[in-house]
Amino acid sequence: MKKKVIVACGGAVATSTIAANKVVELCKKNGIDVEICQVRISEIQSNLPADLIVTTSKVKRDFGVPLITGMPFISGMGVEKTEASILKVLQG
Amino acid sequence: MIWETLKPALIFPGAEAASYEEVFQQVGGALTKAGYTKETYVEALIEREREYPTGLDVEGWGVAIPHTPVEHVNSETVIAIAIFKDPVEFVQMGTDDETVGVRIVFMLAIAGKPGEHGAHLDELQRIIAIIQDTALLQNLLNAQSADEIIKLIEEKEKTL
Repeated sequence: MKKKVIVACGGAVATSTIAANKVVELCKKNGIDVEICQVRISEIQSNLPADLIVTTSKVKRDFGVPLITGMPFISGMGVEKTEASILKVLQG
Repeated sequence: MIWETLKPALIFPGAEAASYEEVFQQVGGALTKAGYTKETYVEALIEREREYPTGLDVEGWGVAIPHTPVEHVNSETVIAIAIFKDPVEFVQMGTDDETVGVRIVFMLAIAGKPGEHGAHLDELQRIIAIIQDTALLQNLLNAQSADEIIKLIEEKEKTL
């Protein structure tokens, strides 16, 4: 069953590109069929529904969808934990 | 490779600034003066940083990767680098108020069509590899010239 992941940042031009690529690699490695929707934070709402939202910027709103910060993909700190929680949502 | 595109005139070892706004006026101003970015670039950097901060605490090293939407950049993607003697306060990416003292700034002037996502992946991955290498960050802080900074990045990229 194909999973849809929204990857968002402020301008959808830099950090979300990195995070989106990491999510694609993680899903490929774990045999998860995924569709990535890379958007600006302001475009999340209009791109629902989704199975997961990964953001590299602060998002306060609750979209009723699991939301995980993709910050570790940028800073390099805590990547394993982030990947584990992404897999938990997508394989859960 | 990023190092090949780096321009010595856009690399500032030993820079000084009291605030991130000043960093953007200095470094962003240089990008605009050199014709790589539009007149709106510096203002857009300041505005965007307030809403979407780009400070990073990489194992105690303060780094920032300020950038704007593509609408403020001309046709060529360029990177300006500034190394600050004293830390400049940035808010950390993904937070509202957690700050970090930044001494290394990679200012990204990313060109492209509005709404086009996922471009420049290779360049962005190289930048991420650079800012996550704390030994390299240390060397960048000690570099005395633009050429030395370019050399350090060249050596790093050859390992990628």
